[in-house]
Amino acid sequence: MTGIVCAVRGGPASQPTIARSVSLAQESGLPLYFLYVVNLDFLTYTSSSRSHTITMEMEQMGRFILRTAEDTAAAKGVTAEGLVRHGDVTEEIIKLSHEIEADYVVLGRPQIRQKRSVFTRDLLAEFVGRLEELTGAKVVMAEPAEGNNGGGS
Amino acid sequence: MKASGRRRLLIGAIALAALALGMILTDDLVQAAAPGPLVTGNVFDRQGQPVVGARVTITAGRAEAPLSEAETQPDGRYAVPVPEAPPEQLTLHIERPHFQSASTDLSVAQLRDLRNGQTVSLPDTTLLRRINLAFWIATGLFVAVLVLIATGRLHNTLSAMVGVSLIFVLSYIGRTISEDLFIFDFRGALGYVDWNVIFLIMGMMIVVAVVERTGIFQWMALRAYRLSGGRTWLLLPILMVLTGVASATLDNVTTMLLMTPITVQIALALGLNPLALLMPEVMASNVAGISTLIGTPTNILIGSYADISFNSFLTNLTPGVVLALVGLVLYSEWTYRRELKVSGEPGAPSAMLEELSESARISEPEHLKKAGVVGAGMLILFVLGEQVHLLPSVTALMGATALMVWIRPNIEEMIEAVDWTTLVFFITLFIVVGAIQEVGLVSFIADGIGRLIGDNLLVAVLAVTWLSALLSMVIANIPFTAAMLPVVGFLTKTVPGANTQVLFYCLSVGSAMGGNGSLIGASANMVTAGISERSGQPITYAYFFRKGFPALLLTVALASLWLLLHFLVS
Repeated sequence: MTGIVCAVRGGPASQPTIARSVSLAQESGLPLYFLYVVNLDFLTYTSSSRSHTITMEMEQMGRFILRTAEDTAAAKGVTAEGLVRHGDVTEEIIKLSHEIEADYVVLGRPQIRQKRSVFTRDLLAEFVGRLEELTGAKVVMAEPAEGNNGGGS
Repeated sequence: MKASGRRRLLIGAIALAALALGMILTDDLVQAAAPGPLVTGNVFDRQGQPVVGARVTITAGRAEAPLSEAETQPDGRYAVPVPEAPPEQLTLHIERPHFQSASTDLSVAQLRDLRNGQTVSLPDTTLLRRINLAFWIATGLFVAVLVLIATGRLHNTLSAMVGVSLIFVLSYIGRTISEDLFIFDFRGALGYVDWNVIFLIMGMMIVVAVVERTGIFQWMALRAYRLSGGRTWLLLPILMVLTGVASATLDNVTTMLLMTPITVQIALALGLNPLALLMPEVMASNVAGISTLIGTPTNILIGSYADISFNSFLTNLTPGVVLALVGLVLYSEWTYRRELKVSGEPGAPSAMLEELSESARISEPEHLKKAGVVGAGMLILFVLGEQVHLLPSVTALMGATALMVWIRPNIEEMIEAVDWTTLVFFITLFIVVGAIQEVGLVSFIADGIGRLIGDNLLVAVLAVTWLSALLSMVIANIPFTAAMLPVVGFLTKTVPGANTQVLFYCLSVGSAMGGNGSLIGASANMVTAGISERSGQPITYAYFFRKGFPALLLTVALASLWLLLHFLVS
């Protein structure tokens, strides 16, 4: 099995990454997998006992976000599969890349203004090296669209 | 259950009841049979609050060995028995940690009355505070706990637990080095824990745990979408009102935990920026939560401390909340006017709508029906309970138990659904706040604010409301409210006209609506931002302030206007 892995969170910041992965799928003819990772770290400092219900809600939201990504791909004639996983984003990207023996992993390039992003530039560089070493996949970085920092930035 | 089993249960219940009755009667008889003359009186602090647990002793003149002793009760009253043949001179001593001691020599006439077997009532005693090392340490620990909570360096509960542990280390181990390090002992600390609050929150958590699994929130959000017909200007107020009503009956954090994911999906389906719906929703949650006693933890604290009933919150705050909510809706429509504009026909594509419907199904309809029945019963008890002095915590516990007996859920799952970390947070927070009360910090603050405000109720209303609102932006509103309660209690007693409890309502408005001023101002803001970020829509501190602070000014102004009209003009 081969393919392209593209981790998405939704929102404007994910659009260039989705677009790049779709164009890569068009060029290579490889199957495309969109990945959404449910992570409840934000509950650490508030309420920890509701993880059961909120996990289900987040999973549902993740599926919906993946659905919009799949629609974007379908509009370009690419069939994509959406996968929801739970846990740490970086670890889940590595796991999925292993599972499907990914040829490419498409990642978004973090923007300076996105201080709350999972990846800072340094962390991303470190992760890319680790990912390529562990999975043998080639990492493709999608350039962010100009002025596209998400609604809240 | 078999008939013999039932009979045994009945006999057991009767035996327990008889035992309890016996204990009550015995206690009454013991009290009634207290022999000999007494010296009675009351001890208050400078704020007129009863001083509890003060040691009152009677000595022969200035001799050190006490002839008899007693302790002041929760109302500050003491009754010290006097020996049947009192000596020529008697002196009454009152002493308590963190207060200056007071002594009174009994007059000749009082001694004569005692010898004649009559009880002597002494004038009220005012004990003055004594600032010692414990005062500064307790103050420092309280500030440190607030800073740890605000900066997120430690979990809220752990921050308060560290504070409590240090208080006990000083009180027990430090005391062996210097008496000035003593704050209070374990028994004294437990006296500051409001168990009514703890049990009310616990009971409501169990009820909420059942309700949140039914999918009702998601279903209602989709109904809101259908009702609006996809018109975003209409969808916004409907979602805000829905969130507001849910926040008034459940807690804000649960409401936003369940509303945010479905709102993101609705926004994405409509091609909207989700923040245009999420920000107004969370602000509505912070505003409307205070219309009932159970809507926010701060209201639970205030209601229990000031003995404000469910009905009183409804009648005295709901109109102000509605006014503030109307203002907030108009503000949200204006501030998000660009984001709410969508190109093309209103409404989501049918494929998306199908996906949404899948997300928004009632997952446990039977449980929902039962929860509805129990919820209605609880509401009736909350409203009518005050007629029979039924505490809200008892109603919540009865409701939670009834629901579990009826639904028979996995009991371990239900108990796990209780947020024990929050309950431990409340218990430890009560102790940390109790420490600053014990050493007198709260009294000094109350004194200072009282002097600034003077006798002017208008100034008091505005000061408490706005001070609470602005401070709640940076200080977690639960510890802030807990610390402010005795201060507001003092002002309620001293400011003419404040006996309507108006200042407690001001505290409720300020501490809740102040949460809209900053991202860290309310837990509901933080969970909304957390989920929103995971949908690719980060809410930064600056963004929240930009949108939320004007909302704070507007809603607090409107709510203040209502409080002034309701309590000062009418």
